[in-house]
Formats: sequence, C-alpha cells, structure tokens
Amino acid sequence: MFFPSWTKKYDLLVTDIKRPPNQFRGEFRFVDVANGEQVMDAAEGMDAIINLSVLRHDRKIAFDVNALGCYNMMEAAVKHGIKRIINTGPHFTIAGSTYEEFDYEINPDVPPHPGTLLYALSKSVGHEICRVYAENYDLHVQMYLYYNFRDPENLEREREVRPFAISWQNGAEVFPYGLEIPLEKLPSRFETFFVFTDMPHGRFTNEKVKRVLGWQPRDDVSAIWKRN
Amino acid sequence: MKLLVTSATSTLGKQVSSELTERHDLRLTDRAIEPLTVQHYYSPQEHDASTNLLVRGLDGIVVVGERLEGESAPSYLDSMTRKLYNLLMAAYQEDVTRIIYLSTLQLMEAYGPEYVVTERWRPRPTPEPSLLGKHLGEYVCREFAREHKLTVVVLRLGKVVAATDVASQSLDPTWLDQKDLAAAIEGALNAELSPWTVIHVQGKQKDARFPVGDAEKLIGFAPTIDFSVPAHAH
Repeated sequence: MFFPSWTKKYDLLVTDIKRPPNQFRGEFRFVDVANGEQVMDAAEGMDAIINLSVLRHDRKIAFDVNALGCYNMMEAAVKHGIKRIINTGPHFTIAGSTYEEFDYEINPDVPPHPGTLLYALSKSVGHEICRVYAENYDLHVQMYLYYNFRDPENLEREREVRPFAISWQNGAEVFPYGLEIPLEKLPSRFETFFVFTDMPHGRFTNEKVKRVLGWQPRDDVSAIWKRN
Repeated sequence: MKLLVTSATSTLGKQVSSELTERHDLRLTDRAIEPLTVQHYYSPQEHDASTNLLVRGLDGIVVVGERLEGESAPSYLDSMTRKLYNLLMAAYQEDVTRIIYLSTLQLMEAYGPEYVVTERWRPRPTPEPSLLGKHLGEYVCREFAREHKLTVVVLRLGKVVAATDVASQSLDPTWLDQKDLAAAIEGALNAELSPWTVIHVQGKQKDARFPVGDAEKLIGFAPTIDFSVPAHAH
C-alpha cells in the first residue's frame, strides 16, 4: 500500500485487516469489510467511501470480501447518507473471457459477462449489488476496473500484460478526479470505467475515463509492448 | 428422475416436493437441520466433498433458494451467491446437467402495472434482501449457463398457493397453483432448451401483467386453475 501526495488533501480514515506498512496523514482502524457492523461504524461521518478490498482464491473469503463487502458498504452508505462511492475490481468483473477472447474495443458499459472464475464472479456480484443500490437510492457509485499494475522502475518486460496495464502511480491518480467531480456531471448514478494507460492493441478502450473524469494516462509502462 | 430439492423445509420447498414426489426420486436438502418434521439432508453447501456427494448421481436440481426463518440478510445473500456457486460448481463437476432455479416475478414489479412485462425485460430488484438474493442467484446461475457448464431454467414464479386455500380470498393477480407449478417444473426438466432460459410462470389470468406465452411455448405450460373465474377453487 502506498499513499500518493494527493491523499494529503483529504482527511483519511484508512481501514484494513492489517496495519499499512508506511506513514500517511490520517487515522487507521482495523476493519474487516465482511463485518457489517465494523463497516457501518467506520463509515459514519464520511463524505465518500473508496473500496479497494479484494480477495481472489478462497471461495469463502472471496465472496465475503468481494460480494458481501459491497453489500456492507452500500448499507453503510445508505444509513449515513454517503452519496459518493468508488468501488474497484479487475476488468473481468464485467468483461470475462466471452468478451476478452472474442472482441475488440471493449468498453466499460457492456453488460457484465464475468463467467464462473471465482475472482471475476465474486467481484461481479459485488458490482451488481452496488448497481442495485444506485438504482434504488440517491447515491452515486463509480466502478474503477484495472488489471495489471506495474512499477515503471521494474517493468518485468518478459511478462505480457493481458489485457491491459497501468503503473501503480498512474492508477492511483484517478481517485481525486472521482472525488472531485460534481455528482451531477456523472452520466448516471452508476458508472463503470476501465482504468489503464493508452495501449495500441485496441482490445479494450480507456476513452471513457479520460472523457468523463478528465484523468490522463502517463506513458510510463509502454516499454513493455515495444521492441528494444 | 433423480432430483435434488433445496430449501426443502421452506413452505415453497414443501409445496414443490409434495407435488414431485410421486413421479421422481427426490433427495431433499436444506441449509438448516431444523425442522425435523421434514426428512432431509442437512447441507451447509460449503466448498468441500459433502456438496459433491449431495449432488452425485442426480439428473437435475430444483433450486428453491428460500430464506430461512429469522435468517440475517448477509447470511441469505451468502447462500444465494457463494453457496449457490458451490452447489452449481459441484453439479458441473458431477455431470448434473439441468438446474431449475425458482425465482420470483417480484423482480419485475418495479415496472408500472400498465405494462405487459415479458422475459425480455430487465429485472429491477430492490435491495430488500429476499428479493436481492433471488436476483443475485439468477446472476450466478447465468454465468454457468453462459459457459455451457449447465443448462439453467429460471422459473420466475407468481405467488404459489393451493387454489383450495385461497378460494375465499380476494384475487392476487399473480397466483400460481402449486400443482401448476409442479407441471411447470416437469416441463422445464424435460423440454429441449438453450443453456439459459428464463420463463415467467403464473396462473391463468385475463390481461395478465406477466403473460405466460413463453411458458406455454417452451415447456408446454397449461395451467389448470383459472383464477379469473369466480369460485376458481372448484
């Protein structure tokens, strides 16, 4: 976990099941996102919630974190009148193999096809829970979907980035846009974005995150798909 | 056929099993041990061998998917997502090919009553846990069908009743007699269908809000009780 400089603008309550290894300006609290009471308590008094939690492999914990965690978050948002929620996940939360293996120019407004992969489906169930709440309550959910994160100082060029990538730093830069955009400027109460740097392959498109939020990709990992 | 019926101790589970038991070899299961008045296999539907054993040798599963009495919202949602995932994955591994998932027409009630709402319309659940759970169950099932792992027939049901029990009550426009429900399940078990089929099922009603044309065409549904006719119970 790292805390980019923009986080200093905000009063943070950082929660996790482990204490973060580095310093930040704000408060830390032990919260298991699968525990509804803990989430409810932590959300009190907040203006926005950013959910970065994820668990990929164990069925029980994956659904607890990725699906019920979203339910707990949305219940807390409703109870405390928090209208700005940012949730995160992998691209196959909506664009699983039935898109990724067949199509091009895949945009984030396609109907979800997560498939049965545990990570994808458990995240997609959480995504759907958020959507249902946004449809039924006056609150706004932004979904940021990523996949490969790379360190520009250590690109690991031998590993192909499928289907897309971004640097850790650039990936984090989207959040202030999501925190600052007037909610009425979002096209709807539930908006999904693929967040990745500009890539030439045309498999997915990041046009929406640039157009709607004004976020800009950095050119800091493109050496991965360029010849020497 | 050898069939598993889940939520067997629930009211709907009992209605289903009482109607199917004469024609099928039923294995009843529930996530709760109680009540002991219904002989059933207790299964927590965890990711372990017991769930595989539960479905081994079956021809199909009727997923009733009801909320236990007094069950918390997170527990019910867990059962309709993770535990259903466990059950369906076990079914796929054990070559059980047909799933009948009992959902509800309440998922479509957010559309105004002036509309004729068919299976092509998008479900519009609220976050009310019983409804959200049914919706998320459909969501999980659909992905197994999409990958051709299982053939899933979703029956979105009206309010299931015994016609004789409601003879003196004012008409509910989505009533479905439990014998007609059994006939719908029978049709869904036997019809040749694509891997993902959603069908609305309710009793005969004039100018129904949720018409049953697909049910008639795809699974030969022919409700015997016409609730539009006074004294329908006779």
